[in-house]
Amino acid sequence: MEEVRDGKVEKLAILFERHHVILYNFFLRLTANRSISEDLVQDVFFRILRYRHTYRGESKFTIWMYQISRNAHVDYLRKRKEEIPLDEQWTVPLSREQSPAENLEQEEKITLLRQALAKLPLKKREILVLSRFHNLKYREIAELLSCNTGTVKAYVHRATKQLGEIYFELSGGMVS
Amino acid sequence: MKCKHIKTRFSDFLIGDIDQKSKEEVQEHLTACSSCREELETLSETWTKLGVLPEEEPSDRLRPRFYAMLEAYKQGLEQEKRAARSTRVFNGWLESWWPRRPVFQLTLALILLGVGLALGYFFTSGVQNRTEMAQLRQEIQSVRQSMAVSLLDQPSAIERLRGVNWSARLEQPNQETLQALLNTLNRDPNVNVRLAAVDALYLFYNYPVVREGLLQSFTKQTSPLVQVALIDLIIEMRERRAIESLKQLIEENTLNPDVKQRAEQGIQLLSY
Repeated sequence: MEEVRDGKVEKLAILFERHHVILYNFFLRLTANRSISEDLVQDVFFRILRYRHTYRGESKFTIWMYQISRNAHVDYLRKRKEEIPLDEQWTVPLSREQSPAENLEQEEKITLLRQALAKLPLKKREILVLSRFHNLKYREIAELLSCNTGTVKAYVHRATKQLGEIYFELSGGMVS
Repeated sequence: MKCKHIKTRFSDFLIGDIDQKSKEEVQEHLTACSSCREELETLSETWTKLGVLPEEEPSDRLRPRFYAMLEAYKQGLEQEKRAARSTRVFNGWLESWWPRRPVFQLTLALILLGVGLALGYFFTSGVQNRTEMAQLRQEIQSVRQSMAVSLLDQPSAIERLRGVNWSARLEQPNQETLQALLNTLNRDPNVNVRLAAVDALYLFYNYPVVREGLLQSFTKQTSPLVQVALIDLIIEMRERRAIESLKQLIEENTLNPDVKQRAEQGIQLLSY
């Protein structure tokens, strides 16, 4: 990233190849919409170029990248009108899913989990996604969100608890 | 109280980032507290469940879009740099057509030298033209002078009138021309020519030779018309020395009464 900042913008390709899939999944878990997630990935890399001068090598690149990603997501939410309700986004078919054919139950589980995740408040969703899927330490998430580690831990706890409850409700009270 | 403290460790427990001492502490509590045990079990279950969410690959469109954006951005940057490099547009322009090969550079230099010489020749010839023009004008003037003088000498009254007109059109008549005009005024047999001479001399009355000549011309005139014209001219010149000449003129017995009257008026006007 230092090289990108110092003018070798073509080096951004390396960062793209390394991080774009994980970023795409980050947005997919936040927005549950594939094309919007792709747009946001593109937006993030554009912002990285545009704001590359603000990168101070002090913290890990990924933390900086997630900061930009969160901003991009927040801006997207701000721009987005109420015309696209969350439920509609969930109708995006999961046809490309490579789930094992023999396990229909798991496919249903996935759908339910996505729905449950979408019902979580944004901040809880963000923290849960970052800690569960993006291997960020609580300390790093705290740095990213400019709060202390204890708060992050409490959020993870509450978010997980709430997600379990929502999932339970969505599955019709049946423990799977 | 114990439960609340233990629960703060649950999130550490979930990601497995917990030291052995704390882990044992939590486990010890869980064996005694069923509520906490249940809660951690539920949390772990949800946490584990999330693991089934697959990692997806973005569509094939994302990569080309990114590289197109990067390429466009790079081009934009290069354009910016180029613009910054040639802040003076002229330099950029100069660079763009200045040839790389020394042979062409030499050729271009020679062409420029040629253009320079041509321009130099053009401008200096312009100066020459201007001096030539001045010379030409002077020549025309001198031709006109001699023309006027020779015309004033012609036997035909019409020719002599043309001579007077010619001399009136001179910008700076020389002594010869002025003398010729005065001679015409004093000696020309035709009254019309003499009157025309008065008018022509009126244009040049700032010349001392003309003033003197006009003063002396009074006594030499016989025609009342010319006399009146002369008196008017003298008054116009505000020539005070003419008072004596006018007084002499009045003394003459043969003087036309109209001329006498005009001369008396002249004396009055000049006396003020």
